[in-house]
Amino acid sequence: MENAVTHEDWKVCFSELAPGLVLFARQWVRSAADAEDVVQEAFVRFWRRNLSIKNRALLYAAVRSAALDLIRRDNRRARREVEVFADAERTVQPQFEQLDDSQRELVAALDRLPRDQREVLVMKIWNELTFAEIGEALGISQNTAASRYRYGLENLKKTLRPNDQADAAASASIL
Amino acid sequence: MNNFSELEGELKKLRPARVSAELVSRIERALADAGQAADNIILTESRPSGSDFRISWLGLGLGLAAAATFLILARVDSRPGDKTKQTTLASAAPTLEQKAAALPNYQPTGLTQVVYGRHDEGLVFPRGATGPSRRVWTAKRETLRWRDRETGAQLSVSYPAEEVTLIPVSGQ
Repeated sequence: MENAVTHEDWKVCFSELAPGLVLFARQWVRSAADAEDVVQEAFVRFWRRNLSIKNRALLYAAVRSAALDLIRRDNRRARREVEVFADAERTVQPQFEQLDDSQRELVAALDRLPRDQREVLVMKIWNELTFAEIGEALGISQNTAASRYRYGLENLKKTLRPNDQADAAASASIL
Repeated sequence: MNNFSELEGELKKLRPARVSAELVSRIERALADAGQAADNIILTESRPSGSDFRISWLGLGLGLAAAATFLILARVDSRPGDKTKQTTLASAAPTLEQKAAALPNYQPTGLTQVVYGRHDEGLVFPRGATGPSRRVWTAKRETLRWRDRETGAQLSVSYPAEEVTLIPVSGQ
């Protein structure tokens, strides 16, 4: 009976977190299918270890770990993923629903972010983790997580509105 | 208010793609399988098995404790015996029944006694006896074996034992 209750809790938890988890996993693998495999493995692994479902930092750390395990399992895949890391801008694309043109531009800019900044953005924006949770999941300090988030947003802004920067510089020179 | 609130708002408007229905069912199956696997592990651990030998540490501990207790508490029976019957004066080993009583789930399955020393100490005249007896000292090693009826686990205890026996003799 206790198992059944726990099982139901996990199903509810999964249905709520799954989209964000898959989006998070997509940073390390190229296909949606691989991302779903990673999430499944991490979720079951997490459930087997009887960890608290409220500990989201551990859950995201488990997804990250499962993704890296998947990469390590296959050398050919590992080589490919190394290339992906090196050239992440063009190959890793988070999947979003119903994009208009401006949103496609935003997603493209997001894809061009350095991986460490993008993963913090994904965890913060779409998974609503606190900086403390992000730091715990990634093994970095809370301040580092916040800094990466800020740098990520700055880079996005620069990419999306380069003219704003130029205009600001021009205004400053005129004044 | 930070400089990025507008950008954050735009990002939040992006909604992650829904996961496939297949993934949800896969996770559901995987969780069920994982739960079943955990149940199987628990069942395997508690299932009686006659063929698999596993050391029952609790049983072994109880057995050793029982054997040690009986060894310590072994007492000398100095009552004279029947003329025609051997009498054990002293024994440093418990009986099989006594040891088995301490292990309710264990059934005695064997007792091996290896005698490695015997010494005839000569004729003695026990107090109250009508005739002389021959006093024989025996040194041996006893090995007792039990088997748990439920799990099939076997327990074996081996220890040295000494025994002094009076054998009635008839004079001519």
